[in-house]
Amino acid sequence: MKRILLCSAATVMATSAAAFGQAVDYTVMAEMFGEPVTTGATGAPQRASDVPATMIIITQEDISRAPEYDIPGILRHYSGMDVARFSFGQAEVGIRSAGTPYTPRLLVLVNGREVYLDSYGYTAWSTLPVTLEEIQQIEVVKGPQSALYGFNAVAGVINIITRNPALGDYANVTAEVGTNGYQQYRLSAGGALNDRVALRFSYGRTDAHEFDAMLDATDGVRYQAESDGFERESFALGGSVRFTDKVNFTWEVTRSEAELLELVSIYLPASTGYELTSYQAELGADTQWGYFTLGGYRNESDIGYSFGDLTGDLTSLRLQNLFRVGTNNTVRLAVEYREATTASFPDPTAGDLTSQTLAFSGMWNHKFSNALDLTLAVRYDMVDWSRAGTPNPFLYPWTQADYDVSFEEPSYNAALVWRPDFGGAMRFSAARGVQAPTMFDIGFLLPTAGLSLAGNPNTRPAIVDSLEVAYDRTFANAVEFRTAIFWQNTRDVKTSFGLAPEIFPPAAPQPAFLFGNRGDSALWGIENSLAGTHGDHWRWSLSHTFKQVDDDLTAFPVTTFANFEAVTPEHVVNAQLGYEHGRWSADAFLNYTSSTVMPFQPVFGAYRSRDIDATAALSARVGYTLTDNVAIAISAQNVNFGDGELTTPVFETEARYFATLRASF
Amino acid sequence: MHRIVLTALIAAVGFSAAHAQTSARDLEVLGRALGFLEGVSGSERLVAIVYDPAAASEAEALTAALSGGMSAGRITMNGRLVPLGDTAGLAGAHAALLVGGASADSGFAQAASSQGVMTVSTDLGCVQAGRCVMGVQSAPAVRILVNRAAAGSASVSFSTAFAMMVEEI
Repeated sequence: MKRILLCSAATVMATSAAAFGQAVDYTVMAEMFGEPVTTGATGAPQRASDVPATMIIITQEDISRAPEYDIPGILRHYSGMDVARFSFGQAEVGIRSAGTPYTPRLLVLVNGREVYLDSYGYTAWSTLPVTLEEIQQIEVVKGPQSALYGFNAVAGVINIITRNPALGDYANVTAEVGTNGYQQYRLSAGGALNDRVALRFSYGRTDAHEFDAMLDATDGVRYQAESDGFERESFALGGSVRFTDKVNFTWEVTRSEAELLELVSIYLPASTGYELTSYQAELGADTQWGYFTLGGYRNESDIGYSFGDLTGDLTSLRLQNLFRVGTNNTVRLAVEYREATTASFPDPTAGDLTSQTLAFSGMWNHKFSNALDLTLAVRYDMVDWSRAGTPNPFLYPWTQADYDVSFEEPSYNAALVWRPDFGGAMRFSAARGVQAPTMFDIGFLLPTAGLSLAGNPNTRPAIVDSLEVAYDRTFANAVEFRTAIFWQNTRDVKTSFGLAPEIFPPAAPQPAFLFGNRGDSALWGIENSLAGTHGDHWRWSLSHTFKQVDDDLTAFPVTTFANFEAVTPEHVVNAQLGYEHGRWSADAFLNYTSSTVMPFQPVFGAYRSRDIDATAALSARVGYTLTDNVAIAISAQNVNFGDGELTTPVFETEARYFATLRASF
Repeated sequence: MHRIVLTALIAAVGFSAAHAQTSARDLEVLGRALGFLEGVSGSERLVAIVYDPAAASEAEALTAALSGGMSAGRITMNGRLVPLGDTAGLAGAHAALLVGGASADSGFAQAASSQGVMTVSTDLGCVQAGRCVMGVQSAPAVRILVNRAAAGSASVSFSTAFAMMVEEI
């Protein structure tokens, strides 16, 4: 008799959120349940209405109807998202928190692989090796998720899942041409070669003129004069091999390059070149003891910053198992090892910096009844830092031994989901997230004339505590209402340096600017959204997010450029109206962001402040399907911005128009 | 087009029995669920529509809806009309959809189980009683209920992802 999975006492297994993501047939599952499905909230596959976290699931249809050229542009249309575009190629994404330059509070994954830059913890969105057409869905999990995903997942997680070539052949060729030198070409294809082997690949290239820099942003003007062009190129090749019905192997190799103007973490304009390579492999086995996954990936980065070149790599290995005990308990157990090495940076003489992390994690979901279930997740991280060389004692305040730093941190997520008789689902959740110090925080070393800029091995992890109450309900007329009230407190906020040195002789050989912890920052807010359809042709959505920040940080801008109170918009409103009939589709978008005040440095060491007025951006897209396989569209982005509108302090966001020709097979 | 015909066919029958009725949407959900059956290769799934005399018209409408093959997700579902008691009619079927009073017939459910045929009904009570392996309900929200003991008896198993997303008893 064949093995009976359902009869086993504890044998229904899955892997991590990311790992299991490729094992789920999202399309058929969504059709079957009548709603999107996800593995993003707990690591187990769930219906969107069942997840114990506030999530957004953006489908391929949503992506294809957005008048946007990159993923942050798409994200800006959803509630709770703070997307600040600092230049054409640099958009910073915050979830219920400001998108600041090089924001290090977000964990971004592509098919389970971390794509944020481990050396600082920010995501250079232009480097993501993904084309828009190959995305199955984008999952946004709001709030700290360290217990499920590890470091950096303190504002939330964005998980980008590409189409699984084993579940259907596809091919897309897209060409976009627009104003201001904009061109983007995307190619993606995938399919099964036979019953066991499937392959996919994608290629994308984008070129555009940069937004104009404000004349008082001296370095911005200078870099724009030197290189006005934005360029990016990406390539991905991957696939799967099904050894047996129960054993599956997936792999992926990616390469991306980007040249862009951006603002670094201290709001200083810079020109940066990225060259990133990744390798990923994973073996999944459905056994009588569970569905085990052994996976790993390696990220290699070669980044040319204006202040020096950074070469680093990250290797991650993990073993996971998700299983069911009885009919009402789902458990996930995992162990992960990470090792990250960065060559001495930007001063190349002080030896490689290495961090090693060993983490154990577990998740338990218990269903008390169809109306009530509880999810608890815990993770324990143990991190060791070391330096292979000795910093120059005439320049820096640290010795090699100072870098022998270790810390251990627990994190948790807890959520109770209640589905009351009167309808909808209510979630009560609490979390403790951990934002670990990065290579920049610990080991950055840069000498200047009579001064030095340095990381700080005494930097502690920032801890984010979070509480949330949320309620979702879909009414009989299919109108979906979602509301959430949330509170977060970040202790020991860590940032780069401010305008003044913090340590002086004789404590240091020369005055030094330091990275470090700067105090606390609390935030509370409420988000509300409504979405629905009207008749067969119309769809609409409206959302409002309110946030209030209370900083208790060290002196701005003397010791830090962090000023969350000033840079976080209190109100963000998004609205969309869409129409589809026959071969035509049309969508209009409004994005309102209330006023902020943002700092910037015209040149290093000079401070300016810029009032950013409230903006209401209007965008639209009109599409027409020529044949079953060919479609065209015209997109108008921020049409009321004209030649430029300040949404961030240095580069003015411009209205852009582009035409799209897409062939899909 | 196929979906329109299917809906019209089933609606035209106007099921009036007191038991849970099988809608077009129920069939769509069932078809997709059959795609997650383990140990079944290919994209064809044969469903025996098992009925008692009182539910003959409902069964005939369902069989007509499946005639020529109904596409559901990545599989194609075909139907075969099987009167209650005709256990030989289950041969080659991947699932037996029990309509009308058939969902209350323990003997037939046992016969299906011994042949390794998954019993399905839109009457969730059938699953709770252990006669059916799977229950499907598409309104007001989709519910899929699986009886682990019944599945074990029938040697039926599902893909991991599917098993983790349905209700099990």
